[in-house]
This record gives sequence, structure tokens and C-alpha cells, in this order.
Amino acid sequence: MNDIEFCRILEIETATLNIWVEERWIIPVGADGTSSYGDADVARGRLILDLVRTMGVNEAGVDVVVDLVDQLHTLREQMRLVMDAIRQQDVTVQRSLRKALDGR
Amino acid sequence: MATPYETLGVKKDASQKEIQSAYRKLAKKYHPDLNPGDSAAEQKFKSVSAAYAILEDVEKRAKFDRGEIDENGVEQDARSYYRDYSQGGDAASRYRNSGGFADFGDADDLFSSFFSGARGRRQQTARGDDLQFKLEISLLDAANGGPKTVTLPGGSPLELRIPPGVRDGQVLRLRGKGGPGFNGGPDGDTLIEIQVLPDKQFVRDGDNVRVEIPISVREAVLGGKIEVPTLSGAVSVTVRANTSSGRILRLSGKGFPNRHGGHGDLFVTLKIVLPTTPDPQLEEFMKGWEAGRNFNPRRA
Repeated sequence: MNDIEFCRILEIETATLNIWVEERWIIPVGADGTSSYGDADVARGRLILDLVRTMGVNEAGVDVVVDLVDQLHTLREQMRLVMDAIRQQDVTVQRSLRKALDGR
Repeated sequence: MATPYETLGVKKDASQKEIQSAYRKLAKKYHPDLNPGDSAAEQKFKSVSAAYAILEDVEKRAKFDRGEIDENGVEQDARSYYRDYSQGGDAASRYRNSGGFADFGDADDLFSSFFSGARGRRQQTARGDDLQFKLEISLLDAANGGPKTVTLPGGSPLELRIPPGVRDGQVLRLRGKGGPGFNGGPDGDTLIEIQVLPDKQFVRDGDNVRVEIPISVREAVLGGKIEVPTLSGAVSVTVRANTSSGRILRLSGKGFPNRHGGHGDLFVTLKIVLPTTPDPQLEEFMKGWEAGRNFNPRRA
């Protein structure tokens, strides 16, 4: 979807979207003028609206939250890959890893 | 099933403000995007939102209190949360942010590149900051344009080409001359806002320019050629014999450059100036000048 469709779904002004994109809270695919947005960007937009309207978070706060949420998801993704990798190991390797994590 | 009051944890006679504040607190706690791994959070957030949808609206709250609607009274739209898209897929790489754990493992650690997000994935890049400056230039520089070297606050010189006909308040954008990009992102721009200083001689009037030129009594009476300054240098102009003070000469195309590549006009107002010290010869002449006695320009 383009800028206008994105704004219509979220019921926001294009000026608001411009700020979001400038702050890199939303990163559309494509260069200026041909920006395109997906369902993930809409869901992200709803999170920003929840923060601003429901939770009373200001612009600086949204910046911090969005940054930490992105870090959290990236960390979760990497944690998942680590767990997948561990599950593929030999049972003895898995056991010794578990011991190390338990501090024994 | 819990009533909306129980769900939000407020008393039945709570004020709208208390209800809002309770809802905000719970929304912050249970928003699914702030609890990406907690599958129960979505259900809790949904019931909190549904409860609030009833209680935030004074009319709906009254209907509920009278038993006209139940706690399911306001249907919530099904919605998906960002967390549903954040793993894998295109959004995950666009919004990837390894900032928080780039310190996992030393640089020569076997796993360091895994945690710093290398492995061929796109790194988070950001465009450099735009820098903004103001530059004061003279009206003549604004009209004629040309190269100008300015010294930035940081002390570094910057070569600037001023376009002829630049306007007051116009912003010149120097691409890539701003702050450096992060992580391989493009450099920002330098934005220079032009402020055109007023000129002592020339006054701008849109694309036209006005100037006042003094002429002597002799030039006014007998006419002749005089030099007139323009934005692009002096030109020779003929003053007709018997010219009054205030006559305006129009020099076509000698005004300010306009947006269409042309120029406005220069309007020259002539002003007769007498000698600085009284001249006895001129006084004598005037006393003997018969026609002058009968000419009254206020009655003409």
C-alpha cells in the first residue's frame, strides 16, 4: 500500500506519517515518492498510536520504546536461533550446556 | 465473567479520570507488543480494552449500569500486533536493531558476528543529520549570484554557489554536506537559509527595483546624459530637457532576476538637488527670470 492508503487505514494525517518516517519509527520499502507499506508497518503504526493515545507517551518516549522493542525482537530472534542450534547438537553437548547454564 | 469495573480494578463509582488512569496503567502492562513472548497478554489487553470501551463512554457506562448491555457490549475489532510480524520476514530485517547486545562476545569470539547481526543480514543504517545555517548576503549578491566561500561554525570552509535572483528566506540545500551517515548510511545535507540584507540605494519591489538618483538644476533644465547605477553595473541614461523632480524613468529588464529566467524593471526616480551653498549668480538669474514669477506649479 502507498502513503495515502496507510494513512487512511490508521486514520492519521500524512504529516504524522512523515514524522514517523523521518524518525525512522516506520521504514517504508522503496525510495522517496514510491514508498510502500505492508501489514507489519500497519501493526507497528497501531503500536505507536497505542503508545501516544492510550498510554500518554510523548514523542521522545515513543523513540525509546520503539528502539527497545526492535532490540527485543532482534534478541528474541537470535535467542530462537541459538535454541534451534542447541537442539541440533548431540545430547551430551546439550547436557553440558545445561549444566553450564545452571552454574554447575 | 468479570464486570468492566473488576477488569479495570476500579470501584463502581470511580470517576472518568480514575477509569482512564487505571486503563492506561493496565494497557502499559499488557500491551502485546510490550510483552512479545506472553501469549496471555493479548487476551488480557483485549478484555481491558473492551472494559474501557464501555466505561470511557459515559452513555455506554450508564447503559451498562442499568443492565441494558453486558460486559461484551462493545465489540472489539480483531487486530494483529506488530509482534506477529517481527520474526522472520521482510519487516524483521528492516527493523533489525542489534544495538543492545553488540557487546556479546569479543571481536575475535566465534559468536561475536552472530550477535552483532552480521551474517549477511542488512545492518541498520541511518542518514546523517541535516545541518542548518543562516547566511546574510547583500542585495547585489542576491541579484547576481556567484560563488561564495562561507566558514561553518565548525571552522571548515564551504564553497557555495548562490543562484542569481535568490530570494530572502530561500533555503539552499547542499546534498551530502551535512552530518556523516551512520553505519554506511548516506551523509546528511547542509541547509542554508539566505537572508538578503536591505540595500542603501536599491529597494526591491517584487521583481522590480527602485532607485532614487539626484540630478542638478542644470541637468534638469537643459537635459543630458547621466550615469545611473543598476544591479549589474552603471548605465548611461538620457535626461530630457525640462525634467521635473520626481519623474520616473523605467529601465526595462534592469530589475531583479525573476523565477522564469527574465528580469524585472528598474525604476529610476529623478530628484533635483540645488548646490550645497547658495549661489549668487543663480539668485540673480531667478530674480530677473520674468516667466518664473507667473508659473505656479500648484495651480497648473
